[in-house]
Amino acid sequence: MPEKILVVVEQREGKLNRASWETLVAGQSIAAETGWILGAAVIGSGVASIASEIAGKRVAKVYDLESPALNPYTPDAFSAGLKQFLSSNQPKLVLMPHTYQVRDFIPKLATAMGRTVISDCVGYRKDGEKLLFTRQMFQGKFAADVSFSCDAPWFVTFQNGAFRGDKVEAGASAAPVETVDLQIAAGTVRNQPQEIFKEAKQAVDLTQAEIIVSVGRGIKEQKNIELAKQLAGALGGEIAASRPICDSGWLPMDRQIGSSGQTVAPKLYLALGISGAIQHIVGMKGARAVIAVNKDREAPIFEIADVAVVGNLFDIVPPLIEEVKKAKAGT
Amino acid sequence: MNPRKSVAGLFMLVFRKTLEGIERPQMPADVVIVGGGPAGMACALRLSQLIDRHNASNPDSQLSKENIYVLDKAREIGQHCLSGALLDPRSMRELLPDFEKEAPLNSSVNKEAVYFLTENSKLKFPITPPPLRDHGNYVISLNRFVKWLGSKVEAAGITVFTGFAGSELRFDGERVTGVLTDDKGVDKQNQPKSNFEPGYELQAKIVILAEGTRGSLTKQLINKFDLAKDCNPQTYGQGVKELWEIPSERIAPGEVIYTMGWPLTSREYGGAWIYGGKDNVVSLGFVTGLDYPDPRLDPQRMLQEFKRHPFVAKLLEGGKMIRYGAKSLPYGGWWAIPPVAGNGWMILGDSAGFLNSQRLKGIHLAIKSGMLAAETAFDAMKKDDFSAATLGAFQQRVESSWIKEELWKVRNFHQGFEHGFWRGMFHAGIQQLTGGRGLRNRYPGTAGYTRMKKLVDLPANGGAEAHLIGNAKGDGKLTFDKLTDLYHSGTKHEEDQPAHLVIHDTDICNSRCIREYGSPCQHFCPANVYEMLDDASAPNGKRISLNPSNCVHCKACDIHDPYQIVTWVPPEGGGGPNYDGM
Repeated sequence: MPEKILVVVEQREGKLNRASWETLVAGQSIAAETGWILGAAVIGSGVASIASEIAGKRVAKVYDLESPALNPYTPDAFSAGLKQFLSSNQPKLVLMPHTYQVRDFIPKLATAMGRTVISDCVGYRKDGEKLLFTRQMFQGKFAADVSFSCDAPWFVTFQNGAFRGDKVEAGASAAPVETVDLQIAAGTVRNQPQEIFKEAKQAVDLTQAEIIVSVGRGIKEQKNIELAKQLAGALGGEIAASRPICDSGWLPMDRQIGSSGQTVAPKLYLALGISGAIQHIVGMKGARAVIAVNKDREAPIFEIADVAVVGNLFDIVPPLIEEVKKAKAGT
Repeated sequence: MNPRKSVAGLFMLVFRKTLEGIERPQMPADVVIVGGGPAGMACALRLSQLIDRHNASNPDSQLSKENIYVLDKAREIGQHCLSGALLDPRSMRELLPDFEKEAPLNSSVNKEAVYFLTENSKLKFPITPPPLRDHGNYVISLNRFVKWLGSKVEAAGITVFTGFAGSELRFDGERVTGVLTDDKGVDKQNQPKSNFEPGYELQAKIVILAEGTRGSLTKQLINKFDLAKDCNPQTYGQGVKELWEIPSERIAPGEVIYTMGWPLTSREYGGAWIYGGKDNVVSLGFVTGLDYPDPRLDPQRMLQEFKRHPFVAKLLEGGKMIRYGAKSLPYGGWWAIPPVAGNGWMILGDSAGFLNSQRLKGIHLAIKSGMLAAETAFDAMKKDDFSAATLGAFQQRVESSWIKEELWKVRNFHQGFEHGFWRGMFHAGIQQLTGGRGLRNRYPGTAGYTRMKKLVDLPANGGAEAHLIGNAKGDGKLTFDKLTDLYHSGTKHEEDQPAHLVIHDTDICNSRCIREYGSPCQHFCPANVYEMLDDASAPNGKRISLNPSNCVHCKACDIHDPYQIVTWVPPEGGGGPNYDGM
């Protein structure tokens, strides 16, 4: 009996992750070189359509691993389900794409089976009878060929882009699909997934803001940020800051303007208590109008300000907020 | 809640340390050279030449270059290299006899002058003192020169890992057994981020330290084996440099000017250089000995005051400052050099202290030390013996080479100046007549930081140093405040990482140093890394705060803090200044 290769494709919420095609290409290529038999598996609940999509490609067999406990995704369920299947199917080599989901559960799965993972591989090589998997080292400057010395199953994950997904070979006829009902005992799943949400990569795109109220060290204390936020709110603008403010954690780093933060060019840039070091200026000098409030008459920010207000921002900002509100109410 | 605030509400600084309990990839190596400056690159290139020659005539006993690596913390080769710079070509001619045909040499020195400055006038030395005669040397950009030298190393088949710092040495008893590279992707709290990449354990037969002045691994090594016990304490200078573009025909390419005197008083050691280069680009800088008495002095300010001298202001008028940088240099001379070889290790260049402080030159010595270390490493590879018995030959090679010959003649030079400029000139004169001996064979030295005086012992207004007290304001044309200068260093770091300036006890900063010395870190740091911020809850109303991402890697804090509680460790590899063209 030749050895078996199993590609576990990835689905999330019933959608096939495109990186799965790349892994399938890797599987097809290894199978061609070794003469091993290539199978594929999809794991989830109600994912038969994905199984039949895979079955159109050149694979010997497709397994549709089903259990209601697999929806929604949890690392506990996926690792328990796959362990159960792999223990009976006994492939030599298990291939997966190196996705976030796989990264989440594969350490648990491999540990549960007492095996190891060669992760994030960019290729493979057959050296005589030995299968070598290539991993990058020193940020890609070096590549290391790694082989397994443990018993099967051997777990390998491939980096995105390591193979060309569009090169996946279609099968002469559709491969048989076997549905496997996994028994995932109650109590296995200890994770309780909450509602899925997308964390916006940047809560705010300051580069699109027309009005920016930006604070510097002159704001003195974290609680005073609120004052600037009120002004920004009244003006319908965004709040931003110079480096020391974000460095202290008073505002998130994505609100930082300057050479180590964002570069903005709003219609109006209101600088409160910002001295105007060149590192900040380079991030906002494209603003159409700059109003600067600073106690220090010598502050370099005044050199580029269209309106320079010398004074204490705590005296100036509160009445300004009132005036803005009044003016807005008037229109 | 802000995680950086402790329960008591005090602002906590989190310092970088090697993460524990992490499985790290291991890699065996024959030779690991830490630092890709002139010393490290010359070492790699020489080693490659020797191996090539050996392999050509010994088909049966080939040596491999595959496991020889150079680590450099800069993102690109040469990015952290800063010097005046004048190159004495002696060692390069030995390394690559035809180098002058292809190396990026700006211009050949054709005119020198030395001036003694007073506040408003200048006095030209009637003859240029012999040590400052630079005919035959080249004005270079060390950054460009090292970039070129590095390309030779890579072409020779030696791997240069840029963006990787050596963060710890590995020991086995009396042996150095390897280097750990920096952990990448660690956040401000010292926790791994999603892009965490553990440092590599490079298990090396030979570790060659070529980290530049006050190398962080070199410091670990010296402390571990108490290598400096029979040496004079190393003393340092702080060089602050600007590159200017000036209107044409004010200074010719290859024209070299040195100055002594103003803005320094006779109590500080130091001086300035001005080198004319091609395309109306001028390199100028000021070196301040890190042994001045007044803790409020600021080497970056020193350069600004120097530029205000009519002689210099006239030269620069209408010009534009284009680059800035700062670097410390080892002044201590022959008696301050620790043993440079042992079991599994060698130390090169500025890390060892191979610098001629009288000539203000070290590049040629760094290169020569790299070559001699390469010859030693080559013998060790042939013999397959990496113990002190074989590597110790590096020590002898240095002592029988022109490195010692050159440094021996100036072995007491800097110590002679410890009691001021005029006594220094007297000692320098006697030493010149006695082959470097002066009044005795070995002048003792004292560590510069111990010469710093407490504020109570100094006039409140600075006295004779009043014009040097505090940080520069800058007029934005001729003179610049520190942040503006810093901007021109191109310095960049990953912001979300722990502070790599490890202060072992911040209580000393907030309680003692601020009262006793007025927090000199704010002044001697050329990059505004150290700040004392208002904080009503701190014992003296201010607390220490760090801007690690400003750091230009000069090591002045590690060297000069009066309590010796700062340890500079490398930040995440790839960060630092970008000394392009410097």
